[in-house]
This record gives sequence, structure tokens and C-alpha cells, in this order.
Amino acid sequence: MNALTRALAMLALAALLVGLLAAAVIASSDHVDDTAFAITFMVGVGYAWIATGLFATYRRPANKVGVLMTATGFAWLLNAFVAANSPAIFTFAVLASNLYLATFVHLLLAYPQGTLRRLERRIAAVVYALCAVGALPILLSGLEVTCERCPDSVIQITSSTTVGTVGDILTSTAAILLAGTVIWVLAARWRAASRPQRRVLAPLLWSGIVLVALVAVTLTSQTVSGDQVPGILPVAWQVVFAAVPFAFLGGLLRGQIAQADAVGELLQRLGEASTGDLRGLLADALHDPSLQLLYWVEDGWVRRDGRSADRPHHAYTPVELNGELVGAIIHDASLEPEAVANVAAAAGLAMRGERLEAALRRSRARIVEAGLQERRRLERNLHDGAQQRLVALSLTLRIAQNQIAKNPDTAAEMVGAAQEELTRALEELRELARGIHPAVLSDRGLQAAVEALAVRSPLPVKVVEVPGERLPEPVEAAAYFVIAEALTNVAKYANASNATVAVRRVNGHACVEVRDDGVGGADPGRGSGLQGLADRVGALDGSLALDSPPGSGTTLRAEIPV
Amino acid sequence: MDCTVLIVDDHPSFRASARVLLESEGFNVIGEAVDGASAVSETCRLKPQLVLLDVQLPDIDGFDVAARITGHPDSPAVILVSSRDSSDFGPLVSRSGARGFVPKAELSGERVQELLV
Repeated sequence: MNALTRALAMLALAALLVGLLAAAVIASSDHVDDTAFAITFMVGVGYAWIATGLFATYRRPANKVGVLMTATGFAWLLNAFVAANSPAIFTFAVLASNLYLATFVHLLLAYPQGTLRRLERRIAAVVYALCAVGALPILLSGLEVTCERCPDSVIQITSSTTVGTVGDILTSTAAILLAGTVIWVLAARWRAASRPQRRVLAPLLWSGIVLVALVAVTLTSQTVSGDQVPGILPVAWQVVFAAVPFAFLGGLLRGQIAQADAVGELLQRLGEASTGDLRGLLADALHDPSLQLLYWVEDGWVRRDGRSADRPHHAYTPVELNGELVGAIIHDASLEPEAVANVAAAAGLAMRGERLEAALRRSRARIVEAGLQERRRLERNLHDGAQQRLVALSLTLRIAQNQIAKNPDTAAEMVGAAQEELTRALEELRELARGIHPAVLSDRGLQAAVEALAVRSPLPVKVVEVPGERLPEPVEAAAYFVIAEALTNVAKYANASNATVAVRRVNGHACVEVRDDGVGGADPGRGSGLQGLADRVGALDGSLALDSPPGSGTTLRAEIPV
Repeated sequence: MDCTVLIVDDHPSFRASARVLLESEGFNVIGEAVDGASAVSETCRLKPQLVLLDVQLPDIDGFDVAARITGHPDSPAVILVSSRDSSDFGPLVSRSGARGFVPKAELSGERVQELLV
């Protein structure tokens, strides 16, 4: 038994004792007519509230709702002591007889999160204050409150009924205004609530509004008619009050049965076929139309369309399958954590399927973006390189033309310079064309293209093995660009003295391997080059692996199905 | 003819060639600038009669520079140049406040003179 259950058990015991004491006081009362009914009603309702409150605390210890319900139950039990024959106890009990209304309003304002915001805290404070002094005018003036045979108030200071009546009218008016404010706050909360929130709010909020309205109407009719009308109204409010714990428990039970049904139905619908709308199914199951799904792909959150998403900052529940994180359900904060967890457990398999789609879309989007980036790079290179050289060439020739007559030697010199400029422009164009697609690759195949790459590389590259026969064009191109990018990286970062390149055909795959003897420690996340290659290879159902332990060289391997 | 010129271009090879070309055709090149910001400040400082302004600059582009340095009675004449063709820019040239546009490869004193009159 932990500290919480021990504390709850002690409270239950205390409630039992207070209830028995209340029963004894009512049984021996000389001013209660139907003692059997009074005991059953007073003690029964108190026990129902306390038991429900303890149960709610047991379920959600951090939430104050259970504590407030328990407190309301105890406050209600104090009412029973109005039956006491001792004037002192009677006076105290009448004074405290409205306390249960205050704790109940506090509960209403705090439900369901258990805490009060600033305005609500102020309202609750006024309600407590009014309930504490509400009975004072009667007790101080000796007005006959409950019955003719009741004991006298021990704090009576005047026998003037006028003072008492005026005081009573004042407190009643304040109470009516306060009741209106509370109803207004609760109605505003209902209007602002989302659908799942309304389901949680409904039982308590509506019984609360009805009860507060009944209290207001009773006080109004008393104040207006001046009578102490016991009538139907106070009975009605007490019946509503008695029903609240049962409505609360009924709501919980209904929620759990509905939840079990929803999960069962969800499993069935998930099993029927891939409907393509997993989000819709989960939103139906949890009755939360705002529900969203995120997928965990390669260390980041993505949406179903493959776009990256921020870390969820609303209420969310991770979805795991066999201990592996596949995604998250972002949902309304008011949903029961158990309900979302059940749905998350049921949705794991389907979410893994959608995650694959999301990963594919993300990779596709990256390929498109890489294509655009490549075009921008080409345009930039053309503009900054060959185009500038040709512009300079044109200007040089124009200057030379101006000089032919006056300074033929200068003109000849300038034409020579123009010739050099033209050679460089041609070289740049050639390099650029090779980067777009190497002609030797399409004309002579991978072997010739890789050998050409090796020759052009600034460090010694040994071509160990490359199949002489032609491979499908996309495979040749992917293999070529893997080798080209790898050799560029070796030259740029590896600080290597030499590199080897091999392409082998193994089990229906072209296995590309580029190895160097450099410093290692290459970061796979560096730049977009490797990611672009991985996407390119992935688009052919192949895979790319980087092995680069610090100090032991780097090996880049690609396996591409042929 | 002693028209003072500021050449604005981020490519040193173009600035050098344009200077030689224009000076050989009677213009007086009094300064060079490598980006939009220095183009604006050098225009204020040197008060050239003509600014030969590249469209593509590392910071703000030539159209924005032209808009900033024209529009006053004592503003210099601005001629935009680019290795691209004027048709790449549509109505941007005419809206920029510049006198006109010359493709870099066709730059000559004669073309500039035509736009200045």
C-alpha cells in the first residue's frame, strides 16, 4: 500500500466515522420529523460524493478534482449537524450549512483540469466568503430559520427581525448575482470547448448549471415573497446535488465502454482494408476531429505528405511498434491518456505503413529539390564561368579592333589574350557538360568513365575492378555519380594519399566501393552531397553506407539492384 | 567629350575591360564599385555623370540600386549592363529609372553615347 492509497483509506475511514456520528445526531434529534429518511439522504449523499472523490483522486492523483469532490462530500455531511439538539452545535452547523455549495462551485470552476485561473479564483473566493456569512443575518437576529422546534442561535445579538430580514435580503441578492456570474462563466466555457472537451465537461457542467440556477431561483422567490418557502425548489436542488457523483461516474463508465467499443471498431476497420485515411479513423475513434498524425522518419518528425514538421508542442502520444517509435498522435489535451494509449497501440502497424509512404514522399521531395538546386548551380556556373569569359572576350576583341590602325602590336597582343580566354571558356563548358552527364559514360560505359574520373582526380586513384559489360543506364549513372562524389570528397576532406575504386556484380546487385587511406571521421550529415546520392541510389531500390572510423580511412559503399 | 563614369560590377575582369574600352573611346572612368551598397555610396561621393551598372550584384540588385540613385535633378544617368539579354528582365529595366540597357558583350562607347542623348 503506497502513501496515496493509505491516505485515501484514512479519509474513507474518517468519512465513515463522520457519517455514523451524523446518523446518530439525526437519530437523536428532537426537531427532525422523518429521521430514517434524513439519515439515508444526508449520509447517503455525503458518502456518494466522498467515495466518488476518493476514486477520482486514486485515478488521477495530480488532478485536484477528486480532492474537491471529497471536500464537497464532507461539507455536505456538516449539514446533518443542523439536527443537533445542542444550540452550539446547531448554530455552528447552520453557519456551515452552505459550505458544500461553495466547494461545489469551486469544483465546477476547476473542472476538469483541477486548477483555477485568475478570474475563477476571484469568483471562488467571493463564493466562499458569501457562503461563510450567508447564515449570519438569521443567526444574529434570531429569525426562525429551519423550524419552530429548532434550538436557539447562540450568537443571537438582536431580536429585531427587520435587521435579520434586511441582512438576509442583502446576502440573497449577492448570492443571486454570484450565481448568474458562475453560470455565465460556465456557459462561456461550454461554448469555447472542443468536441472531446464537451464530452468530458457535460455531466458535471450541466448538473452544476442546473443546480446553481435552482439555488438562484429559490433565493429569488424567497427574497421576493419574503417567505421561507421550503417548497419544491430546495428539494429539486438537493436531488440534483445528490445525482452529481452518479452522473460523474456514469460519464466515466460510458466513456470507458465507448472507448472499448471504439478501439474494437478501429481494429476491425484497420483490418478490413487500407482505407487511406488513418487520421480520419483515429479521429473518429477518439471523437477528436482536430487530431493529427506525425511520423518519425530518420531522426525527425514528418507529416504524411513528407514535409518536415516541428517537434509536437501540443498534447501528443507517441506510437510505438515492437518498442520502435513510428510516430505520434497529436490530440486534444482533454482526452483521457488511457483512451489515446489504447488507440495508439491499435494503430501502430498501420502507422508504420504510412510512415514508409511519408519517408518515400520525403525522399521524392528531396530528389525534386536536388534537381532544382542542380539547375540553379548550373545556371550560376554558366553565368559566372563561360559567360563572363565570353563577355570579356567580346570586349577584348572590340578594344583590339579599335587599336588595329593606331597600335597594331597592341592589337595583336590582345587577340592572343582573347585566344587564351576562349580556350579557358571552352574548358569550363566541357567541365560543366561532363557534370551534367559525362559523354564517355553514355558512349563507352562505366569502365571507361570511371577510368577517366581516376585520371582527372588530383590524387592517385586505383581502379581495382569495374565490369566491362554495359549495365542499365540509370544504374551506370548512379554508380558513376557515387564514385565521382566520393572522389571529390576524398580530394576535399580526407587528406588521403591514395584511393581505390571497385564495382562488382554480386547477387544481382552492382556493388560500388570507394575506399581511401585518409583521416576518416566523415560525417554522413555533412552537406547535401551524400544525402543526394542516398536519394538517387534509393530511387533505384539500392542502399548507401558510409564507414568512416576516425583515423582509419573512409569507405563508401553503394548497392544498386541490376 | 569628357563624360565621368562609375563602373559597378562584381567581376574584376569586366571592370578592367570596360574601363579600357570606355577610356579608349573618350570617357573618363573616375571610379569602380563591386556591390550595390558601395555603388550607392560611391555615386554620392564621386558624383559621376554616368553609372554603368551590372544587374546582378552580390547584395542588392542593379534595379534597386538604379531606383535609389536616380530620380533627382542632379542624378547621374544610369545604364544597366548584364551578360544576360534584356529580354530576360522584361519591364524591370524601364521601371528602374535607368536610361537603358546594354548587353555586356555589345558594350561600346557608341552604344553608351546613343543612350545618353
